[in-house]
Amino acid sequence: MPVYFDNNATTRVDPQVLEAMLPYLSGPHGNASSLHRFGRMARDAVEAARLKVAALVGAQAAEVLWTSGGTESNNLALKGCTAGLKPTRVLYGATEHPAVMEAAESLGDSGWQVEAVAVDQRGVLDWPAFERQLAQGPLRLVSLMRANNETGVIQDIARAAPLVHAAGALLHVDAVQAAGKIPVDFVELGADLMSLSSHKLYGPKGIGALIVGGDVDLAPLHHGGAQERGRRGGTENVAAIVGFGRAAELAVQELGARAAQVQTLRDRLEAGLRAWPRVRIFADGVERIANTVQFGLDGYDGEALLMQLDRKGFAVSSGSACASGKGEPSHVLLGMGIARDIAKGAVRVSFGQDNTAEEVDQFLEVLRTFAAGAA
Amino acid sequence: MIYLDHAATTPLDRRVRDAMLPWLDDVDGYGNPASDHALGRRARQAVEQARVQVAALLGAQADEIIFTSGATEANNLALKGALEFRGLQGAHVVTSRIEHKSVLDTCRYLETLGARVSYLTPNAGGVIDAEQVMAALRPDTALVSLMWVNNETGVINPVEQLAPQLRARGVLFHVDAVQAAGRLPIRLDQLPIDLLSVSAHKCYGPKGIGALFVRKRPRARLSPQIHGGGHEQGMRSGTLATHQIVGMGAAFELAAVAQIEDGVRAAPLRDRLWHALQRLPQSQRNGDPARVVPQLLNLSFEGAEGESLRALLPQLAVSSGSACSSATREPSYVLRALGRDDELASSSLRFSLGRATSLAEIDTAAVQVSMAVLRLRALSPLWDEATGAVAVDATALRAEDNVFGYPVPVWQRFSHTAHAGRLPQAPGSFSAQVGSPAARSMLRVDLHLGRSGIETARFQAYGCPVTIAVGEWLAARLQGQSLQDFQVPDAVEIRAALEIGDDKSHCALMGEDVVRALWQQSRQYHEH
Repeated sequence: MPVYFDNNATTRVDPQVLEAMLPYLSGPHGNASSLHRFGRMARDAVEAARLKVAALVGAQAAEVLWTSGGTESNNLALKGCTAGLKPTRVLYGATEHPAVMEAAESLGDSGWQVEAVAVDQRGVLDWPAFERQLAQGPLRLVSLMRANNETGVIQDIARAAPLVHAAGALLHVDAVQAAGKIPVDFVELGADLMSLSSHKLYGPKGIGALIVGGDVDLAPLHHGGAQERGRRGGTENVAAIVGFGRAAELAVQELGARAAQVQTLRDRLEAGLRAWPRVRIFADGVERIANTVQFGLDGYDGEALLMQLDRKGFAVSSGSACASGKGEPSHVLLGMGIARDIAKGAVRVSFGQDNTAEEVDQFLEVLRTFAAGAA
Repeated sequence: MIYLDHAATTPLDRRVRDAMLPWLDDVDGYGNPASDHALGRRARQAVEQARVQVAALLGAQADEIIFTSGATEANNLALKGALEFRGLQGAHVVTSRIEHKSVLDTCRYLETLGARVSYLTPNAGGVIDAEQVMAALRPDTALVSLMWVNNETGVINPVEQLAPQLRARGVLFHVDAVQAAGRLPIRLDQLPIDLLSVSAHKCYGPKGIGALFVRKRPRARLSPQIHGGGHEQGMRSGTLATHQIVGMGAAFELAAVAQIEDGVRAAPLRDRLWHALQRLPQSQRNGDPARVVPQLLNLSFEGAEGESLRALLPQLAVSSGSACSSATREPSYVLRALGRDDELASSSLRFSLGRATSLAEIDTAAVQVSMAVLRLRALSPLWDEATGAVAVDATALRAEDNVFGYPVPVWQRFSHTAHAGRLPQAPGSFSAQVGSPAARSMLRVDLHLGRSGIETARFQAYGCPVTIAVGEWLAARLQGQSLQDFQVPDAVEIRAALEIGDDKSHCALMGEDVVRALWQQSRQYHEH
């Protein structure tokens, strides 16, 4: 039974979420767009879930658009607000998820000028540079993440929003890692679009949402069918939508308790790491989500460490699961000015509700053994 | 409830569900398939096994299968991806008017980007001929997209005949095989199709997962439509939903074993349903019977409007067209492409049988549909003229049968039409009729005046339940009225009495129009 410290990559499905899904995996099986009784039951379930996901981020139900996950949400946001327009500029944070970066960069093919916004060495937006970029001519969209998936750094979105709007642009917020970990309020943050994913908050994989503010004009990514008011074609994934709804509801109820629990574990881990020379905790000292620590070991082979941890049954990550298997160091750490060799051996620990203090102690013990062996 | 809507979605097979559950509730089943640790590898292995299962049903290689969130996404990826890769401007595409909305809407979108699209019209049997496709090719044709089996009629298009011809011409061939997979044998190792879309939930698998086959040799090249992370060989990014992919794999593996037997079982049941409903005069079968998959039967019942027909069949889950377009309740564009007029297109029902459909269900469905058709025809002013009234025992429907949620006053009148009928021509009798068959809405009211006022009132209606309810309400409201203090009921009163919403306000206006016409006539009568 492995120790799972990779909850930013994906979380287990909460048993209460699964329980909510089961009737839709066995009983009524309507296509939610069909008009007959089964179809209507499916439709009602989809709409009830929409209310719950809206409540998670303080949005209106009508602003919730279902997608197949965070990646599609990010793609829909960036491409949907730029499609068919005369190309101007799009900005995104240098530490964004690959789905935002690559979707943004793909806009270059249709004539958009796409620029990254630098972060400082702590992973925080470089505000003076950002404000200069905002002032450099017509701008359609700025995409910033609320919480970073690797370092856990929380960006001050509420500070960015008025600046973005003053520049005449829309603000898209990737809240995939933030939702369910810290309070996220669509209106208070001043977002125009916001991406959410179910499987980062104990819901099923394969379902996400894009919150689209009432006055945002969005072109579809998938054409065909009148689902989601013509903005996202395809038969609704009813069971997964119901699961996401239940997961969102639980996240609202348990937010404080969950954060407090993982905070204890993170404090314990960080205390252990700090006692050890040559450990560097990235984004140390800035506001981060409570479950995430990313660190590097100066002078050790980080990749060997990751393999060792895997062999010992610890599921951790070097960075984004979406970028793993490529052998490339994390763009997040490189963006923060971390040297390539250190970035390459970075370890990300992301705690979840099932983790215990004993697991943290075991983890520290394995690290100590490794260090002793490598020294 | 009898479920005959398997072309819209199928129930999840219990064995598929059992295969999925470990990836939702096991302690080590939830890893991200992209993660480089034990849990991630375990999920990845499950995904790869499912990829082999999906490929096997199609006669493809596992690395030719790209998982998507469903067939809509697969169709979008195939068309946009192929054209984007080759350069859109001026590229010519051949498709048909009877494709699924996800192909048609994508083609319309591609047109806005500079592509040119030819939309072929099927013959009266619903078939797109191979010759027709070849004749539509131009030197600049980049892509042909054709569905293997139509979702509304079940008609099989000659893609097997077309594929080698298109390959010889060097034209990329995309096939929407959503309705074909699990119903027809598909051998992509023998058939030079370049891109092929499939869906799990039409095949007893879960919703929210589909796949696009992308041929490796010769390689069909696509530009990705969802960026980020480079999953699925860079063609489709996003965390793979392990449980759904495993479910699709299990469903396709089952289909490989069951598809022949499923067809052999369905054909006689489908034929039995057709023989039973054929006894209704003027029912027409849509789609060439010799070319239809065994699970499907699409019929038009002249004189029975589709929405009312569905409303009278609360225990029967059938579709009156593609589920994807019924939200707009327009008559089926597929049937119109086959040459059916609006009236016949909107009086159609699609019966799609499944693995568990029983003989008893078919017989019950046949009786229920026959009763409903006869009942609506008896109410129709058109039908009466054509054939003479058919007497039907119009048993009152119960409140709980109102499954489509009509306003209660509408449902009460629609389900119990005590004032239906015509009055004989006689002095003091008046009759007025508004609407037209093409508008799919007609209302006729007959009155007989006596000394003190309106002695008798009767109505006939062809149209949705609200139109019929307006007729019934009007006849009841008019009968027994004295002419001295007569107030013509207007649309506002009708809407208020029947709680008719904005979307059906035209039905109330028809009511007002027919009363005005009657009032005119009766005043002329009194002046003489």
